[in-house]
This record gives sequence, C-alpha cells and structure tokens, in this order.
Amino acid sequence: MKVSVRGHLFDLLAFSGLPKRRQKQIAKAPARPVPVHPVNVLAQQVHPDKLHLVVTGVKDETKTSKTFRLAPEPGSVTKALPPFRAGQYLSLKVAVNGASITRPYSISSAPFEALGPDGFYEVTVKRVSDGFLTPYMWDNWQAGMRVESSAPAGFFYHEPLRDACQVVGLAGGSGITPFRAMAREVVHGGLDAELLVLYGSSDEGDILFHDELKMLEAQSAGKVRVVHVLSCAEVALAGCEQGFITADIVRRYADVGNSSFFVCGPQVMYEFVAGELARLNLPRRRVRWEAFGQVKDIARYPGFPAEAAGKTFALQVHINETHAEIPARATETVLVAMERANLAAPSQCRSGECGFCRSLLLSGEVFVVPESDGRRAADKEFGYFHPCSSYPLSDLEVKVPQSV
Amino acid sequence: MVDRTIPQQPGRSYDAVVVGAGNGGLGAAAQLAAKGVKVLLLEQHNVPGGFATSFVRGRFEFEGAMHLIADFGPPTNKGSVRKFFEDELDIHLDWFELPEAFRLIQTDPGDELDVTVRYGRDNFIHDIEKALPGSRQIVTDYVDLCLEVVEALTYLGESRGHPDRKVLTGKYANFLKTAPYTVDQVANAMKVPRRVRDIFHALWTYLGVPTDRCSFTVFGGMMGKLIPFSAYIPRNRSHEFTSSLEARIRELGGETQFNTRVDQILVENGQVVGVVTSHGERIATKHVVANASPTLVFNRLIQPQSAVPELARRETNARVDGVAGFTVYLGLDASPRELGLNEYSYLIYANMDTPRLYDAFKTLGVPKATASSCLNNAIPDCSPPGTSIVAITTLFRPDAWKDVRPEDYVAVKNRIASGLIADFEKATGAPLRQHIEQVEVATPQTYARYTGAHGGTIYGYEPEPWDSLIPRMMALTAPKHIQGLEFCGGYAFRCHGYSSSFMSGQTAGLLTLQTLLQERG
Repeated sequence: MKVSVRGHLFDLLAFSGLPKRRQKQIAKAPARPVPVHPVNVLAQQVHPDKLHLVVTGVKDETKTSKTFRLAPEPGSVTKALPPFRAGQYLSLKVAVNGASITRPYSISSAPFEALGPDGFYEVTVKRVSDGFLTPYMWDNWQAGMRVESSAPAGFFYHEPLRDACQVVGLAGGSGITPFRAMAREVVHGGLDAELLVLYGSSDEGDILFHDELKMLEAQSAGKVRVVHVLSCAEVALAGCEQGFITADIVRRYADVGNSSFFVCGPQVMYEFVAGELARLNLPRRRVRWEAFGQVKDIARYPGFPAEAAGKTFALQVHINETHAEIPARATETVLVAMERANLAAPSQCRSGECGFCRSLLLSGEVFVVPESDGRRAADKEFGYFHPCSSYPLSDLEVKVPQSV
Repeated sequence: MVDRTIPQQPGRSYDAVVVGAGNGGLGAAAQLAAKGVKVLLLEQHNVPGGFATSFVRGRFEFEGAMHLIADFGPPTNKGSVRKFFEDELDIHLDWFELPEAFRLIQTDPGDELDVTVRYGRDNFIHDIEKALPGSRQIVTDYVDLCLEVVEALTYLGESRGHPDRKVLTGKYANFLKTAPYTVDQVANAMKVPRRVRDIFHALWTYLGVPTDRCSFTVFGGMMGKLIPFSAYIPRNRSHEFTSSLEARIRELGGETQFNTRVDQILVENGQVVGVVTSHGERIATKHVVANASPTLVFNRLIQPQSAVPELARRETNARVDGVAGFTVYLGLDASPRELGLNEYSYLIYANMDTPRLYDAFKTLGVPKATASSCLNNAIPDCSPPGTSIVAITTLFRPDAWKDVRPEDYVAVKNRIASGLIADFEKATGAPLRQHIEQVEVATPQTYARYTGAHGGTIYGYEPEPWDSLIPRMMALTAPKHIQGLEFCGGYAFRCHGYSSSFMSGQTAGLLTLQTLLQERG
C-alpha cells in the first residue's frame, strides 16, 4: 500500500519543510507575555491555600457557647471570602502557648452571608473546660484578633446531583451548627430543599439558636422545621420530644423513604444514631455523616491494643531539612505529638479524610482508626499514612511534608 | 514584570532538580536517579502524579484521570512503557488489560451507531468489518499505516537524530508522506469511507484536537500503539503508578519533596543556576527538568524575566493550549450488571463532526462528546460488591470558563454535570441518577487548583501538523532557549497522553544526563 496526499514528491518536500514551517509559524507570533489565565484566578478565588481573617464580633449563645464572626483581614491578601456550601467547615489555625494547632469548625452562618464586600463566616464554639483550645479562645478571641484559616472544606453538604430534596438533619449538641447554615440558606432561597432538623440537647439551657431557629421556621413557608429532642428527665418546652433521637421519633416526623439524612454531633450520639438508623433500612447513599473527628478516648476504642495505652514512644520527624526526636503517647495521634513539639506539620480535617497531613511512615507501627481511614489504597501499599488518625504503637520515624 | 527578591546564600545543591511530579517529572526523576544522578523532585501538591492521581470519597477510591496507558503491552510483547517501567526501573505492579478498545455510541437521530471494538490488529479489523461489512480492506490499510508510523518513530528514536535517509524513504515512505498532514487530509487521500472514519477516529477526544487539525502522525502513532499493544491500567488507580515511581526514586537515591512549589527558576548568563521554592529556600542546580508548560516556565518561573529570549515567548504564543478537562465521578450503589454497563470504555458522541463538537467546547453548554469509563469492567473489585465507579469526562476550551464568578461556580458545574449524567443515561440506558452514593465534579478550575496548569488544561499544546511530534523532535537539536532547562510532560515533544508524557520524562532525563556527562568531561 502506498499513500500520497498531494503527490509523492510534494509530500516528501512537505516533510523536509516541516522545521521551516514551524519556524515561520513561531516567527509570526507576538512576543508578549502571557497573563495568568482567568481559570487559574478563579481556582484561587474558590480554593485559596489559606485565608487571613479577623474576628469582627463575638456573641454569647448559651452559657458555654459563643459565635465568632470572621471577615477578611484588611490589608491582607484575602480580599473576599470564598463561597462555600452549607455544612462545610473551616480549619482554623491557632497558636496556643507557642504551639500551632488546627481545629475544624463547621461554618454556622449561611453561604449567602459570605458573599460581597461585607461577607463573613461565623463559627459557633462550645467551651470545653478541660480543653486545650477553647479556654484560650474564650480569653483571647475578641474583635480585632487575627486568625489564619483554611478555605471552606469538607463534604458534608446537600448535593442536588445526589441527595433527595427532603433533608433530615440529625443534630446533637453543637452539631446543630451546619444545620443552622442550611436553614438560613433555605430561607434565603439559596438551597432548594426542605429541611427537617431533629435536634438533640441535654436540656433546654443547652439548645443553641433556639429563638433564631424558631424565627427561621416561621419565615420558611414550611420549608424548615426543627424538633427538639431533650434527654433530661423533665421537659417543659412545648412541642419537643423527650429522650434520644430514636427510629420511632424519626418515623414520626420524617418522610423516611424520600429523604437524605445528615448526621452531625458528638461521638456518643453517632453510635446511638447509627443503631437507630439501621432499623430504618436506609440505603447508604441516603445517610451522610459529618467527619468522625478525633476519637475522644482511643484507649477504650475497640481494636486498640490495650497494652499500648499509657506508653510513650520516640518519634523521629523529618520535615524537609529539619529533624527532631520527640515523645509520642500511644493515646494521642502522631499529629498531636508533632503539634505539642511545635513542628510545622500540615493538617486540616483531623478526621483522616482530607489527606492534608499525608506523610511517609519510614519505620514503626501505628494504629489507624478504621472509621477514619481515608488513605488511598496505594498509600497503604507504599507506606503513607495520615498522622491525624494514626496512633503510635512503637517508636516511629516519619517524613512529613512542610506545611504550605 | 518586576524581578522578585532572590534569597541569598544557597544551601542545598543538586545535579538536577525536577519541577513537578506529574507523569513526566516522575519519569525524568526516576531516569536520572537510576543513572546515579543526584536529583531532587519538587511537587507543590502533597501527592505525586499531577492529574495522574486518585481520591477517596466514602467507600470509593476514584481514578483522577487515567483512561488507559498505551504502549504497555502484555509481558510477552512489552511496549516501551512496560520496558522502561519493569526492565529499567524494576517496578512491578498488578496490571489489568482493558476488555475492549471502546464502545462507540453515536446519538444523532438518523446517524446512530453503537459498536464495540477490541484491540489487537485482527480483532480491530474484524470488529469494524462486522459493524460495516465490506470495510475490511480499507481498515486493514489504515491500521497498517498507523503501525508503520509507530515503526518509523521507533526507528527515529533508535537512530538518535541521525536516521538513514534511504531507510526512511524506502521502508517508511508512507510515514514521511503523511507527517505534514492532518488526520482528515490523510483519510481523504486514502478514501476512507465516512462510517469507517466514525469508528476509526473515535478516540480523537484522547488528543482533544478535531481531525481537520490534528496531526496524522500523532493520531496514527496513538492508534498504532494501542491496536497491537492494547491498553492497561494498574490495580489501584493512577496513584499506585505514580506512588510506585516516587518510592522507586527514593530507593534509587533521589530525593522527593511535597508541598513545595517552585516559584522561581534562576538564570544567569543564559544558564540555569538554581530554583527558589515556596518555602523561600534557594536550591542550587545547573539542570532543571520542568514538568510545567513552557507557557508557565517562561512567563512565571524564569528569573530574571529578562533572561527569557524573545523567541521563547513567540514560541509559546504561537502554540495553542490544549483543552481543559471536566469529569463527573460517580460512586454508585448498584453493580455494573444491575446498571446494564458491560464495557469499560464508552465514547458517546452526537456525531463525528469533530470540528463542530470542538466548537461546542468553547461555550458552557453540555458538550455532546464524552469519553467515560466503568472501572469495574476492567478491575472487578475496584469498589465494594454491589457498587460501581463511573467517570464521565468531557472537554472545554479554557476560555469558556473565563467569565464564571466564584458565587456561580457550583451552579455552573452542577448544571453541566447534570446534563452529562442525563446524556449518558439516555445513550446507555443505565439508571445512574437513582444510584448515586458519591459524586464529585472536577472542572478546569479543579485541574488548575491541584496542578497549576495554565487554564486548567489537561493536554499539552495542540499537535497540529506544524507542531506535531516530528517538527518538535526536529527542533530538539536547535539551540536551547536556556541552557540547563529541559521540558517533560504533555507539553514536551512527544505530545500528551499518559504514556507520552511519562516517556518524555525518560527522554528529558537522558538529555540532562548527556549534558551532565559533557560538563564533567
């Protein structure tokens, strides 16, 4: 078979003329510089590496909870807040007594409130009296305080491509925060869904946003409904349920077969709710759980080797050219050990899912919480792990990428 | 542009620094490390791979970008990628051969087509003949022309820039005579019937250039490698391919560093002298292999900017950026059988008027050209029993996205994703929507975010005949714009695609090694 396009000789000449043809094409092009493409600009606006924020207001919600309002820090590179989806969180970076740590907090304000020149985010935080961070926040976070944050992150949001337009939120304690964002966005018209929230609190005084949620219900033309479920012995609040969020209570209020369920609350609540939801025989795609968070008491976690509890191991950390040997308790994550030593290890979700802290385990053994094992298959194969959900079971040597 | 401050007092020093751990950068760093070169691979993200990655959502691990690796072949008939990967780098993974080349579904009323074609020369010819009786001879001729292109390219590679003219004009005359032309020009000259073209050119979206502009050599070379060597994917997504390379680079004595963007490539007297990272560190080196596009390297990285020759600027402006990607990743709670999906690779096109389909990539409509995969049909246990992973991919010209505002971004991407899902359902009959357990949508912004790619392009410069593999190869011997700077990846001379970008790393590594050896005398 012989192929000719324009004739044998012409084709051969055209072949040998290819370099000239290329040179000509290049010579006639302009020599001007190429600006940053709008796609790259938008990528930075939607997903900046970090945000420079400032506290612009603090509001007491309950005796133990405050809402902090955050806006771009004037004069910083953060000119506007990236849009987010109701239910997403911010990973706030805070220096506490010289140690730099991160904490993920659901954004409790609505997406529409982040837009425009006066845009803001709010996070609502419950004080943990023996906690590391929250007492510090209570003492120091006043208007004017500068805060470094991640861009909004996380997968706990209503996705119309996937979820039913009837949403049932199962909230426990401060787990109401993402649903406050959703409720506000529904009322605003930015989230096309009907939202029913079953909100568990220990008693009336512990309910966050009680009056506001009432008001949102009234404004929503039936699109938002909040039912309080109080676990205290005596309940005075009208229209509320007593006890915990059981399958029966869910059936009483929700259109079970046509709803997507979103669960956010403390770990004890997850265990209880998981059991109750199992009784409803929902397909997995209908139930979404907010990231598990750091396990509260790892020593009692099923599968955690009991003999390790109480031990402290030697952790060797390589971050680029720096090397440190630090102590690491078996009952604290590798990430926490590094934070205690003030090493600049990256982190974001602290639940094993975002992969931000992905590091190389050069030697040693760790316990990985199965529910928080967001590693890729090949990462397991090639020795990579997520320090935020891994606990040392021996002396360790790790290579950690420097924080961005 | 104002030259930025350069940190003084260089600390670390390397024989070579590779900028970016995409397929090309990994190939280059692995090649250099294998030859004992002191090499540092820098990557801005915290995983290797660039587009060649994976991500986890719930109980699914999604493939980021790979549809297939070409030029790989079975162990008994190794292609150059498998030879480099297994024989030279000694990396051994669990590879899966794709069950078919593609199922092409053409949907325009009156123009419908639904045909499944397998790889392997005889299979390929047989399957087209079965769909279009009487086409055996022309398909055979067309396949053999593609095979000749690959043989000729192999010969050119082996002759290291000094081919014997007699061999070329004797053995590879058809290769020579088609190299200056487009796919359509060659198909016209061969009088390939329209219906045969519809099937034969179906993989045009893998190159992203319509057949009236795409270099025949590049297209024919792709088909000439796929047809005899078939196509493969590794068990645990691209991330396994790229992680195995990253691990091997370290074993071979190379160094790798994540979360480290290269902000500057320092040039003095036309020679690379170092790089500056996003951590503010200055690293000395006389050799940089860039896995970033020349557009980014010459416009953003080279410092001082006055070191960029005018010709380099003209060259990047003369070339046309490739298309940007858009992918809908679906984790479904139904098995492929329940969904009625029996193939791995689905090409769903309204028609094969490729210039018109390409024109639609310039607007934010729902493109009527998608290349999709159902991963479980290649790797049955890639997701839990009773589930499946489907990825629907289409293309856009980057400029289509230029006016999207941050607050509208999610609505725009969801509108397009929704349309793509509906079109896929209509073409295949698979009820995707009611089974979605996990969904993620990657847009040009997503690709730009994770790799820095200019405009979110996933392909290199468009390989029109004047800038195809051959003229790019011929230009390799021309004086360099900057001494000590090589390119690899989809923007390099081999053009884009998984295997091409990976193997361009090998070439860039060897070219760097050659210069290093000359410098050492």
